[in-house]
Amino acid sequence: MTTSTRTEIEDFLYLEASLLDEWRLEEWVELFTLDCTYEVPATDAPEADPALSWSLIHDRRTMLEQRVIRLKKPEAHAEFPHSRTSRIIGNVRILEQREDSLEVSASFLVSRMKAGKFDQYAGHYFYELVPGLKIRRKKAVLAHDCLDPQGKISFVL
Amino acid sequence: MPEPFVIDNREDSLFQVHREVFTSPEIFERERELIFGPAWLYAGHESELPRRNDFRTRDVGGRPVIFTRDRHGEVRVLLNTCLHRGASLCRHPAGNAKIFTCFYHGWAYRNSGELVNVPSVEDYAGAPTDVYRTLPAPRVESYRGFYFVNFSGDAPDLRTWLGTSAYLLDLAVDQSEDGIEILPGTHSYTLQANWKLLVENSVDGYHAKSVHHTYFEMMMELGQTPPMLGDSDTNGVPPAGLGTEFGNGHATLMYPGNGLPLANEAVTHNLAALRSRAVERFGESYATAVFDLARNTIFFPNFVLIDLNFGMILRTITPLGPDRTQVSSWQLTPRGLDEESLRYRIDNALTFWGPAGLATPDDVEALEQAQRGFGARREMPWSDISKGMGKARPAANDELQMRAWWRQWNAVMTGEPLPREVEEFIPFDVPVQQPQGA
Repeated sequence: MTTSTRTEIEDFLYLEASLLDEWRLEEWVELFTLDCTYEVPATDAPEADPALSWSLIHDRRTMLEQRVIRLKKPEAHAEFPHSRTSRIIGNVRILEQREDSLEVSASFLVSRMKAGKFDQYAGHYFYELVPGLKIRRKKAVLAHDCLDPQGKISFVL
Repeated sequence: MPEPFVIDNREDSLFQVHREVFTSPEIFERERELIFGPAWLYAGHESELPRRNDFRTRDVGGRPVIFTRDRHGEVRVLLNTCLHRGASLCRHPAGNAKIFTCFYHGWAYRNSGELVNVPSVEDYAGAPTDVYRTLPAPRVESYRGFYFVNFSGDAPDLRTWLGTSAYLLDLAVDQSEDGIEILPGTHSYTLQANWKLLVENSVDGYHAKSVHHTYFEMMMELGQTPPMLGDSDTNGVPPAGLGTEFGNGHATLMYPGNGLPLANEAVTHNLAALRSRAVERFGESYATAVFDLARNTIFFPNFVLIDLNFGMILRTITPLGPDRTQVSSWQLTPRGLDEESLRYRIDNALTFWGPAGLATPDDVEALEQAQRGFGARREMPWSDISKGMGKARPAANDELQMRAWWRQWNAVMTGEPLPREVEEFIPFDVPVQQPQGA
């Protein structure tokens, strides 16, 4: 992989954040490779393998696409009308540059307003990025003991 | 407080619940005492404490507890509060410890409850270790690896309390000859809604089509037939399923399972092998109930087991306030599954369930919107739970199971017994040989 600078990576993560904040989910899903995974571990087992534990999300490409299709339907009741979100990405670090991939971590704070309720989701992202800047793996580790008072993650973190 | 809380009109087959019971702080306090005092409450599963001295802290019926296997191997539930001045004895969610020491003044307890050390004990006329000796402990009993506690002295034993509904736990445990286990990871979330709304929702077959429409559409797009659209019965359970009530407010709805969504050949083969071993152990009728039926069960008051075959969840529903509820949910799997089948089960279950699944958030939304709607309770005081009332055999998408739960709730809260609606019905042969330790 040609060497990437942190600025390039930051631009990419900011682009992803804005696609999500603007609900441009079809464009967002195209940031992922066909063999991607999107993971959110359980709050009490952040290190557990999401494929073998009771994690919160463990999507591969097909399910990610289905998640997007569903979220655009008015019958996705938890997100209709859509919540308004604002993502702040920070502390972006390139952890490792490999021949064919890049390990990146970042902090996130997602603020969400829905039906008179204001919630915040905080945590850390871990990415595996591949050439052409595509996401092969995105893992969002929540810095919460419990989803309180949010109660649900009905949009994409 | 409204009187009555429920209207159970058998003549017109009308069942109503007063909406004040979802909003009133007085009723909430009364529930804490009357519902969560005398009932058997689910505390945890034996597989969560594999080694001696393992512990997990959790909240059971509003009480902070330590669920632990003591140094002798006995499972105990200790109140997580110091005898001295009340601070938590253990602030970790899980771990392994022989001694719990209160950080406030340093009083220390063995994991079997004895008070063993008090700093500056020489300043006391009577040593607290002699005065208090042990933490008061609730009763703890288990059924096939499921541990329950009871905070009242005069409750019947757990097996009696469960009655026929114990067989719903058997159907879960008997999926594998090695029993079942809880996977790592807890879904832990809160609702801004009354706890009884999630109780209703957990055994509500009526909402599936409207709330989870997008989920069924997705499954069909992926080549799956949604459940309850078959044309033949399964072990006497019609395609539309059925609701059944047991004593003490326990109830279930059962319906023919929706097969194995998204399973590949290897997984289908492995799970068929699991099933055929169950046929050898228990016979065809019971194995059919175990593997070909799905069921949602509420064990009064707040413990839920939902077994969709390809995934099985346990859920406890703990009230935090009239309009605030804590949910904990775990995934149960047969022990000894090959890794591919395990991955398959988890992925399927995750797709549907949990605060980030493709279905549960819509349930949460519905309950929070109902709670919001209760703002108009003075003008519109009653909720209706009449669907299927008067039928000899209500279907899975009728509301018998909710009425059964509400009648128990009402009996406990008011002392007014309301007779059952239908006879118990379990559509399978109970296996002749119950495994030891049942």
